Amino acid sequence: MLHRPALHAWQTRWLNRCRNALRNPLNLIGAAALLFLAYTIVWPVLHMIYTTLVWRTQDARLTAAADPGHLTFYHWQRVLASDISWSLFYKPVVNALSVGLSVSVVSMVLGCGLAWLVTRTDIPFKKTITFLAIIPYLLPSWMLSQAWLTFFKNSKIGGTPGILQSLLHVAPPDWISYGYVPIVMTLSIHDSVYFFLLVGAALSSMNSQLEEAAEMVGAGRLQVLRRIVFPLVLPSVLSGFILIFTKAVSSYGVPALLGTPVNFYMISTMLYSSMRSRLTTEASVLSLTLMLISIGAIYLNQRLIGRRRSYVTVSGKGSAVTHTSLGRWKLPAAAATVISMVIVAVVPLLVLLLQTFLLKDGSFSAANLTLHYWLGGSDPSINTGEKGVLQNPIFLLALKNSLVIAGIASVIAAVMGLLFGYVVARGKNSAMGRLVDQLSFFPYFIPGISLAAIYITMFAKPVLFIPALYGTITIIILITVVKELPFTVKAGGASLMQIGNELEEAAVLGGASWFTRFRRLLLPLSRKSLLSAFILVFIGAMKEMELIIMLVTPRTETLTTLTFYYVEKGYEQLTNVVLMIIIAIVVTVYLLAVKFGKADLTKGIGGQ
Amino acid sequence: MNMKWKNPLGSMLRHSKPGKAATLVLGTALILTACGGNAGEDRAEADGSKPAEQAQDAGQKGGADANAETVEALYAKAKQEGKLIVYSTSGRANDAAETFMKQYPEIKVEVSKVKSDEMMDKVTKEQDAGQFNPDVIITKEVSGAVEEEMVKPGRYIKYLPEDLAPMVDEPYRTQAEGYANYLEFRTVFYNTEHYKTAPITNWWDLTTPEYKGKVYTADPLSSPAFMDLFTTMVVNSEDMAAAYKEKFGKDIELHGTENAGYEFIRQLFANGLIVLKGSDDVLDAIGKADSDAIGLAVSGDVSKVEEKGWSILPIYDIKPKTSVPDSGYLFLANKAPHEAAGKLFIRWMMGEKDGQGEGMNPFNEVGSWVPRSDVKTKNEISFEQLNLWNYDGEALYFASPKVRDFWIKQK
Repeated sequence: MLHRPALHAWQTRWLNRCRNALRNPLNLIGAAALLFLAYTIVWPVLHMIYTTLVWRTQDARLTAAADPGHLTFYHWQRVLASDISWSLFYKPVVNALSVGLSVSVVSMVLGCGLAWLVTRTDIPFKKTITFLAIIPYLLPSWMLSQAWLTFFKNSKIGGTPGILQSLLHVAPPDWISYGYVPIVMTLSIHDSVYFFLLVGAALSSMNSQLEEAAEMVGAGRLQVLRRIVFPLVLPSVLSGFILIFTKAVSSYGVPALLGTPVNFYMISTMLYSSMRSRLTTEASVLSLTLMLISIGAIYLNQRLIGRRRSYVTVSGKGSAVTHTSLGRWKLPAAAATVISMVIVAVVPLLVLLLQTFLLKDGSFSAANLTLHYWLGGSDPSINTGEKGVLQNPIFLLALKNSLVIAGIASVIAAVMGLLFGYVVARGKNSAMGRLVDQLSFFPYFIPGISLAAIYITMFAKPVLFIPALYGTITIIILITVVKELPFTVKAGGASLMQIGNELEEAAVLGGASWFTRFRRLLLPLSRKSLLSAFILVFIGAMKEMELIIMLVTPRTETLTTLTFYYVEKGYEQLTNVVLMIIIAIVVTVYLLAVKFGKADLTKGIGGQ
Repeated sequence: MNMKWKNPLGSMLRHSKPGKAATLVLGTALILTACGGNAGEDRAEADGSKPAEQAQDAGQKGGADANAETVEALYAKAKQEGKLIVYSTSGRANDAAETFMKQYPEIKVEVSKVKSDEMMDKVTKEQDAGQFNPDVIITKEVSGAVEEEMVKPGRYIKYLPEDLAPMVDEPYRTQAEGYANYLEFRTVFYNTEHYKTAPITNWWDLTTPEYKGKVYTADPLSSPAFMDLFTTMVVNSEDMAAAYKEKFGKDIELHGTENAGYEFIRQLFANGLIVLKGSDDVLDAIGKADSDAIGLAVSGDVSKVEEKGWSILPIYDIKPKTSVPDSGYLFLANKAPHEAAGKLFIRWMMGEKDGQGEGMNPFNEVGSWVPRSDVKTKNEISFEQLNLWNYDGEALYFASPKVRDFWIKQK
């Protein structure tokens, strides 16, 4: 190499571009995010796709043509184009799509309406309403469906008649009692808190001057909502929409209880059946089709957001929130909101709490009151000698594990969501941003059990610098973080999209490094969304069962795995005691987070 | 573990160069590791060799010399092992573990509760990765898959102590895939306030107009054990055909179905079968208030009657056969790290040599049967008197997907 040629102009340009790209923290975070997603999500998904395309030894059960180890389209053809496809796939898909869309719309109305009331009007009891809004999500979703049945069931499923039927002596028709309508209603009530928190965070950071300006030029209140408010919170609304849609489409407990009596199956219930019947490949095909549906939905979402220019509501200028006056509707609106929320949230909770003090369920005499299920020792005449929950030898271990898992996982998940959301928001027109957005959505569609099963293989032995995690609490934390990525990344992205770039640019000019910017600017400004992510992941982790049941070992028992035993034995009070403890913990954490995180949703940005 | 209360960004923010961002996000995995310290301290060594093959040897060997061991010899060895790990589908294992630890205080029992099908995945993945965690497996069948995918490849190993074997009833002594410490089954329940005696005697009664829209079942699509009953009817379709003839006095006429078993399922649906989520829902439906409806549920649920306030009774004599057993098998796991303790625990749950041991109590309940000739059942009818089909794991394994497809098509 005697004549080293001088760099061509294009080479210099290319090198510079590379240098710039490397210097831009966005790209570095994006690359790291992609690496993480590749290992924790893409790899398991590829593994799943691969298993749907080869014959396994077990497939001899399905057809004599099975040829283990060789490629085949049999599994896809069986699901998509065989004589059972209609019942196994198409009908459930149609059901799932209609439930998903309806739940999204209903929760949007409930969640956005509530968020608007709390953040933009002068309605009283704001803090109470915000707090009440979270309660339905605290309750397990099967409880809400059970409550629905208690009211609306007809004689079709026997047992004691529903309250409505005993009062009116008219049997409600099947479509009110079971299937589509109750599934949509219970899921909406349960999940609309996602909408409330996402949209609430966006609304509370919105400058009222925009609305005032519009009103000044003569726009009516509805027009302001439609032309000013709605477009600005669009990213949050769309995120909420997709999130609720996917949650509804993949939910199992509610459709199983309310759908089976009228043969209303969804993809998720079929998928569960395939898993339980050990037709794991069929289950993989079904969940991959769910993933395809979600990719379609996210694509539409990105088209909608991508076309608009800016959603910036937080700029360098000072902002003040003036609340819309509800006038004479103020008190009726507050009363109606609080009363209806008390009915759906507080009443079931209190009934449950009361139940834990009843020696025999259903009898409310003073003699029947007891603390046995909380504190009692072994009494052979009650629950064949099962001790009260606080006396259970593994209670303390389970409590500690639950707190450690939920605590660490929710903090990591919230911060990670914000970092990934940064890539999504700032890179919304780049391939990287879109990829992070899409990939982070997959975990909702991989059934918890499949993901956990793949994780055993992936983390049972050390790989490169990753040690063997299986059997430790770390893997449970990891899978919780991954499983909640869809929500945390959406929340992070939506909130960062509202923070003006000029703030960051100003900070750059002032010589602030990326970390300073992140810590001093982005973190405080997106505090509310961060808190929402934290609290919802915390609740989710405290309630999670299916996901971790594969990964727990006796040392890593949690409060929910404790209930597994009680449920199996039919010890309802003991199950409810554990549930109450979980709820008490979550409420405490919520109150602490609101107080010390200075992230009160009812106040404007910066806690004004 | 006070880490969760610290601001997790605290440490990150001390670095100032943007270039470190990547390492940090990537490093999350590593940070995570830091909190899960005591990972593999007492885990079996991982050697990554082909577990299935070796298991076969282990299984055969285990079968031979295991049986000569006395309780004393096992206990001496088990004391050195110090603990044992149980994977169980049933909470009964916890009850047995409690009494076991009183009897053998030097041995600590840790029980993980997992559903049978999930346990298969868990153990398979663990063993393939060279991790041998559990010692004792307590599991139900999953349409023959436990036998075909776990027992035959040597992942679960049959263990029946030699001195206890003579007391064990067939098929669990020699014919079945393993020893089952108890068994229950799906059968028809009725409301005791409405009916004085069992309202039906033949499975085909459920297809008559008298029970139109009045038969409940737990969903076999989400509960394989219910599907196993229907699959068994398909596998034993001649029995079903004979019972049809006995009931209606004529040969069965198939309406586009393959045999009398499938025809039964078809007619059940035609008669307005109502599918509910689980066994408890069925018993709620027929047992909470006076009802002329009947329903399919698990015999073991009779032990919950008091808790739940049901007025129900199961029917223990139906033609052609009442049901097919759903057995709670006891296995040793392949390469059990605490093998002696595991064997000791299995003996304990079996009720020891005389069948009087305390460890058996959780299994000997109303609605369940212990298949030992020297153990007195709490039911009115003994195990030998039960008129059950044989659980043919291999036949069910290959027939059940087809029956499931047929079931799905009825919807």
